[in-house]
Amino acid sequence: MENLLLIRYGEIYLKGLNRPYFLRALLSRVREAVRPLGGQVWLRDARLFVQGVSDMDACIERVTKVFGVHSVCPAVRLPKEDFEAVCAQAAEMMKGMTGTFKVEARRSDKRYPLDSPEINAKMGGYILRSVPGLRVDVHQPDHLLNVEIRDEAYLYVKVIPAAGGMPVGTGGKAALLLSGGIDSPVAGYMIAKRGVELCAVHFYSYPYTSERAKEKVLDLARILSASCCGLKVYVVPFTDIQLKIHEKCADDYTTLIMRRYMMRIAERIAKAEGAEALITGESIGQVASQTMTALQMTNMVVSLPVYRPLIGFDKIEIIRYAEKIGTYETSCLPYEDCCTIFTPKHPATHPKLDKILESEARLDEEALIEEAVKNVEIIQC
Amino acid sequence: MIYLDNSATTRVSDEAARAAVRCMTENYFNPSALYAPAMEAEKEMTLCREALLRAVHAPQGSRAVFVSGGTEADNLAILGSMQSLRSGVVLYSDGEHPAVREACQALRNVQARVLPLDRDGRVCLDRLPELFTGDVRLICVMQVNNETGAVMPIREIAALRDIYCPQALLHVDGVQGFLRVPFDMAHSGADSYALSGHKIHAPKGVGALILGPRFRLTARQIGGGQEKALRSGTENTPGIAALRAAVEHFPADTDLRAMKLRLWEGLHSLIPQAVVNGPDPASDLTAPHILNVSLPPVRSETMLHALEGDGICIGLGSACSSHKQRVSRVLSAMGISGLRAESALRFSLSPYNTPEEMDLTARAAQKYYDAFKAFVRR
Repeated sequence: MENLLLIRYGEIYLKGLNRPYFLRALLSRVREAVRPLGGQVWLRDARLFVQGVSDMDACIERVTKVFGVHSVCPAVRLPKEDFEAVCAQAAEMMKGMTGTFKVEARRSDKRYPLDSPEINAKMGGYILRSVPGLRVDVHQPDHLLNVEIRDEAYLYVKVIPAAGGMPVGTGGKAALLLSGGIDSPVAGYMIAKRGVELCAVHFYSYPYTSERAKEKVLDLARILSASCCGLKVYVVPFTDIQLKIHEKCADDYTTLIMRRYMMRIAERIAKAEGAEALITGESIGQVASQTMTALQMTNMVVSLPVYRPLIGFDKIEIIRYAEKIGTYETSCLPYEDCCTIFTPKHPATHPKLDKILESEARLDEEALIEEAVKNVEIIQC
Repeated sequence: MIYLDNSATTRVSDEAARAAVRCMTENYFNPSALYAPAMEAEKEMTLCREALLRAVHAPQGSRAVFVSGGTEADNLAILGSMQSLRSGVVLYSDGEHPAVREACQALRNVQARVLPLDRDGRVCLDRLPELFTGDVRLICVMQVNNETGAVMPIREIAALRDIYCPQALLHVDGVQGFLRVPFDMAHSGADSYALSGHKIHAPKGVGALILGPRFRLTARQIGGGQEKALRSGTENTPGIAALRAAVEHFPADTDLRAMKLRLWEGLHSLIPQAVVNGPDPASDLTAPHILNVSLPPVRSETMLHALEGDGICIGLGSACSSHKQRVSRVLSAMGISGLRAESALRFSLSPYNTPEEMDLTARAAQKYYDAFKAFVRR
């Protein structure tokens, strides 16, 4: 008899002929997550298994964050041939429980002498006789004993839900505009959950924003990197561009023009990184630069698609999501980010393209972008 | 690096560090133990107590209680003396550190009231007769304000106290003043005095509450009965030894005020828009080591980070509250608001600074002022 972790995957089940590709990616992601704890990870018969790690609780915590994992179950493995022994082990695991229970068998080894209903009935009967406090309820049981007959027999009671989604790396690559606020980490998380590998672009306006503000963004990147399998952060020096915009452009358009510059720079970095899309945390109407007209104006300057997973979310929903993924507290640290430094009193909510272009004509776009991109600092989180 | 944030904390002096190391590696015994080497540790504490009482000219019959620092000293004085009262009033100046303000406001049966500040950030003496009522039990006034450097009129406050509410105790938070502004506890009329080691080149984690003869209090931390049962817990002998070394070796002959004036004159001549918050820096109404200056319209944080880039560390208002609110509470109490409040910087000096550093700082501030003054939120 051995203890191990049984990992179940979710959406990959829906894949057809290319399922092995997704499984290989999932196996790699789980191996990367488990590596610091030692042990072995293997895939066999539609399940992943982990054994021999130094700290099982830490292992569970890490594996539940891996996208593509549906749930993890601390399980017991033993030889399937002696069914009586399997039943005894099941009864042992149910010992001390009270209320109702049910046995749920899965038999992938179709040569096994008992079929699933027979296993349910026999094992249920055994447990009922051995554990005095339990009754059977096959509809809404308090406890569910899972038994899987595969190369051997696997037993587990506890099913810990995991992140779900698809393994990172199976969905291509995208660049996330990461500000340090509440929204952008959530947007990044949602896209990474669809299997997309991320890199992040942060705009840094020293001395208007501080070393602490940058550290806060890197802390957010570290939180995300636990799910995203590492995150490369491009820190773009943005002060000169902001000062030039402030100096030369129409007041009510400064925020929007700044956003357009951010998109242009992010796209340049994205293309160099081999990313296929940009991701932002914008949602319609949240601030003046996120009205539909304003979003259209920021989209115009890039050719890559811009994905905005929070587009229909309201702030409360975003905050709840941020709390769930553990970024909220860090996002709320009170260091100013580059977006708010020169916010005009009355930003344009229905911007006109000709006015934007008129303002932008006063700037040497190529030189400004070139200079910013040249001085980018790259930090691996 | 040019370090001008000495009101936040100071570098530990070599003498203090050596004293602490000696106490950690050689004379490390528990002062309560019975064998002879432990008596050395106890003696070290006695010497430190004497040095502290001497340094503040404490009256006959005063005691020094070792604590972890300024916050604990203030808390112990306020909560330890007032918490058991059924009624009464405690007064605190509007410029007090949160360690005093929050402690006063935490009292259940005793009402907390505020002593207003004037435009210079000093307690308004002419408002005191109406506030010093017969039910006042404790008055808390800091020796030196941590943000503006304003020196509070302790003697005058004590004199008014003697007329209107002689029963009230006067607690002085001396954390920012100790050793840098002379204090004569015996003649000031103060009943207690709080001090902290890490503001005078001793390590963090040690401080003291000096209690005059009429101050009675009950312990807030109980246990083994150390410090005459006023503060249980094995004594921080390395910190205490370092505190004594810091007090005895404090470079009292450095002319801090001359350096501060040099900085102010440098700033003012290079940046005509510079304005002092608090009393005239040349007068002895301000501490010799704290200069609070606004450089409107360049916001404090921008200037702070810009100077940081040149290796110059300064403060914004008070380090204890700078993450909580944008505009300093003390400056608001002085009627300072808007761009002037948002651009306030605190330069705080130590005897280890040099006049050249003042010139370099003023020039660096001018450089960034000229670069950033045009860029303000419109």
